[in-house]
Amino acid sequence: MNMQDRPLGPDILARLTVNTEPWLSCDDCFRHVDEYVERLLAGATDPMPAMRVHLRACPACAEEAQTVLELAAEDAGVAVPAVEWQ
Amino acid sequence: MTTVGPGPAPVTTPVEQTDWVAALSIPGPLQERALVELHALLLRAARRQVQRMGLRATHVAEELANQAADEALMTLLGKLHTFEGRSRFTTWAYKFAVLQAATAVRTLAWQDREIHLDGLDLVPDGRPGPGHYAEAVDLAQALRAAVDTELTSHQRRIVIALLVDEVPIDVLAQRLGTNRNALYKALHDARKRLRAHLRETGFLDDQAGKP
Repeated sequence: MNMQDRPLGPDILARLTVNTEPWLSCDDCFRHVDEYVERLLAGATDPMPAMRVHLRACPACAEEAQTVLELAAEDAGVAVPAVEWQ
Repeated sequence: MTTVGPGPAPVTTPVEQTDWVAALSIPGPLQERALVELHALLLRAARRQVQRMGLRATHVAEELANQAADEALMTLLGKLHTFEGRSRFTTWAYKFAVLQAATAVRTLAWQDREIHLDGLDLVPDGRPGPGHYAEAVDLAQALRAAVDTELTSHQRRIVIALLVDEVPIDVLAQRLGTNRNALYKALHDARKRLRAHLRETGFLDDQAGKP
């Protein structure tokens, strides 16, 4: 097993120690993401805290949620809101 | 062509949702039209995701988006009965294509790259850390110790790959023969252990880092 030095910068530090409570799985994130983005587009500030926490901690889900948000915003004819996972 | 899809409408419109589900469920000309329109929606979503992830508009990108839309359509039709009308049907549909496209792009980007699931040696990089943390050198040592002593070997591998080396979670899942959900759960448990250790050793403020 090789040991490699990896620089510990603020980004890695944040990723290692981010609080992921309340727990939400990637499957549940996928299940709720359509409803979540539409609530955001309707003006809710924090409609599903567990979704916000998950999207901050899971770059893959966040990358996908951002696209769903943009597409839904176009359909609704509204601007894409600034969200915490961006 | 008479559209079966919705125009601009309030977030939840039962008629709109009934139209899509009914049109897709009952064999006939309306179903055929709905399938064509739905595929176009999914292709739009897949293309957007492909672009977001930096794949330029090439033949490969277009082929990947088309394949993602095809696969998303099949997946969606198999789950049509699970649509509960909590969002517009179109928003619900987009996520299937976005997931397919994103996974495909990540797989393509990493297909020739090795993933080293080895030990971890964290060293401070000299930049200042977040204000609520102690000196970066001490923190690096504390984290290194926590990774060594508090995590299982499986958790260590997952943490290194996902959080330090930034391997996409679905790519790692493919390589390890597991799934995204299981990896994220392992990561969640590892982060809890690291946070608890840092809290016990005075490196993490109880109030810091809360969502």
